Amino acid sequence: MRFKASIQNISTFTKFTASLNSLGPLAWVKLSKDQVCFTIIPEQGTQVWAVLSIDTIFDSYTIQSAAQNVINLEVPLTSLHRALKSALQASSASIRLTKKDNVPLLALTIVTTSTSISNSGTTSSSTTTTATTTAPHGGALSTSGADNNHNHDDGFGFDGGTSSSSFECAFGRERETVVTQEVPVRVLSPETVAGLHEPRCREPDVHILLPPLLQLKGISDRFTKLALVGAKSGTGAGGLGGTAVAAAAAASSSSSMPRTRLEMAANMHGCLRLSIRTDAMSISSVWTGLSNPELDPAQVTGGEEGIRDHPSTKMKELGSADGRSEEGWATVRIDGRDWGKVMSVGRLGGRVIACFCHEHALILYVYLPNDNGLDESVLTYYVSSYSA
Amino acid sequence: MADLDTEERPLFSAVSSSARQLYLLLRCISFADKAQVQISEEGLRFSVEESSVMEGLAFLDKSLFTSYQYNAPPQLPHSPSSQDSTASDTSTPESPIFQISLPSLLETLQIFGLTEPSSSRPPWSRDAPSTAFSTQLLGMNNLCRLSYASPGSSLSVILTESTITTTCALTTYEPAFTTDIPFARHELALKIIMRASWLHDAISELASTSPSRLTLLARMQRGHPFFALSASGPLGSARVEFNTAASTTASTNSGADLATDASSLLETFQLADPGARVSNTYKFALVQKAARAMAVATKVSVRGDAQGVLSLQFMIEIEPGKVNFVDFRFVPFVAEDGDGNDMEDEEEDD
Repeated sequence: MRFKASIQNISTFTKFTASLNSLGPLAWVKLSKDQVCFTIIPEQGTQVWAVLSIDTIFDSYTIQSAAQNVINLEVPLTSLHRALKSALQASSASIRLTKKDNVPLLALTIVTTSTSISNSGTTSSSTTTTATTTAPHGGALSTSGADNNHNHDDGFGFDGGTSSSSFECAFGRERETVVTQEVPVRVLSPETVAGLHEPRCREPDVHILLPPLLQLKGISDRFTKLALVGAKSGTGAGGLGGTAVAAAAAASSSSSMPRTRLEMAANMHGCLRLSIRTDAMSISSVWTGLSNPELDPAQVTGGEEGIRDHPSTKMKELGSADGRSEEGWATVRIDGRDWGKVMSVGRLGGRVIACFCHEHALILYVYLPNDNGLDESVLTYYVSSYSA
Repeated sequence: MADLDTEERPLFSAVSSSARQLYLLLRCISFADKAQVQISEEGLRFSVEESSVMEGLAFLDKSLFTSYQYNAPPQLPHSPSSQDSTASDTSTPESPIFQISLPSLLETLQIFGLTEPSSSRPPWSRDAPSTAFSTQLLGMNNLCRLSYASPGSSLSVILTESTITTTCALTTYEPAFTTDIPFARHELALKIIMRASWLHDAISELASTSPSRLTLLARMQRGHPFFALSASGPLGSARVEFNTAASTTASTNSGADLATDASSLLETFQLADPGARVSNTYKFALVQKAARAMAVATKVSVRGDAQGVLSLQFMIEIEPGKVNFVDFRFVPFVAEDGDGNDMEDEEEDD
């Protein structure tokens, strides 16, 4: 079983693991010849199924295994993210699967080039760190000789030992600091993962291109906060014996309900609506002028025929582009805090298409920006709707 | 905008081009969950009270709005809640009065600005393409419309920002209190005008010992105005003096040290009876609730009436040349015998 690659885009990989980490601590990582899959299945909340093309994050990628060259790993995301964060300033980084004391681990080798005196002390992490400093570009002969004979990859076979040597004589020159972060993982057998399937869902009623996620997150976080404020002042009103003049808002929410339940709705005329109701208020934000992508007949079962019978085609006949009509909305109810975590994927800056299955589920497809425009990387989020 | 014209004329509707200004003023009185709103010809009056001994009042003058329409209700065949008690504080007894959740309103007003693209990123990496004629530059992104359709309906706030419209319906509640804390404006015992930041400095200085009571003392001392705030609590007591006399004893106020012109420390100092000594005690925690107003205001007028009720009126400059006022009123502790006598002796010494 062999896996080795250099990390091409450290910042994307870091942001990616951070977004996944907000939803769950463990990821099932499936490495295969042409793609890398990250899957988070938390006990409750949103599932993520991410498929990345190799070149989104890796370069010079080699993989080998007895099971059709597929490796399944269980990776602790917090450790991986922390290790990657220490690599943000690196000039290059590589990752490989290795074993130490019979514990499989992902070893992240980070090379930082600097001209400063010393920065080998800047890494700190819960994962094991092995650091070596070399001065390969003509450091003083007496000290660099030994290190120059080292191949970098072999240089970290030291068992748990930390050899961090400082080269005071190399000041002012370009120096390389090499840090290895080790993330212990678990290797999963093909049988273990055979039972894991991507959720299936009926054809969506509405699909829409979301506004920039950071903007959406700003508003939905504010709504979540409002719900908490509303809950607090709502109980206060009861104590003071305040009577609601307009009882409409108060009537619909009972005290047993979680207060951070957002209602999200969209129609086939470019409108998205986010709303929340508390005892003290009801508030909704409506975006207009968004786009509803056309369905590709090649992707829909039944081709042209399938599109004609597609639920979204029927939804197109209802509602209006100004968002004022009460018809034609596909609605889901989601937990505000969970939604905030989902929205954190906005930092990757991809296009997001949301598919609404009325009162059932919300599926988000996050397309990561890609240079070559071919094998796109997609993160799929499955958010299920609460019942009314 | 056209849509509302087709509807029945609402009791009240107003448009502001800056939700931020409204937010800044209302935030000063956000010390309780519920605020009472009274709509009149001149503006919106938000009042907040605490245990009937403290009251905060923010008046949103109609000049804050780009358009302000109040259609006084016709003489109603009266609603069960008789509002005759409001007649004392307003010329139009029929003006609608109700309560809303103040934190909810403040959070709503803050939704503005959230959706503006962050300018830290270069234009090519933003998700939405920006144009030279962005609504942000044109100042169009800040429209805030308030309306109240009819007695009993909810107060609606509509915020419009480029392609996003946020509609908020605030539940209205029956007013819980109808009378203000009485303040005899014409029987002032004391009137001091000073920089609000100095009052803020003094209160935050005194707050460090977490006192329970705040005593305000004003008198003429050897022909000079003398004003002191002293706080006492279980951990001891502390005093800040605004002493315009040449020999400053214990001024902990840095501003006071810098003020070379003594008269500028207290812009106005008036006592009803120049020979009298005005001293009243208030609950420290309540006065401290006005700290946010102290921090943003330019000037404060400290007034005490014959009964000892304290009025703090803050002048807040929301934009150059445009001032607004936020008021607070505090009911004093009942004076006890011997209260403050020790202090008197101490002063006679210096």
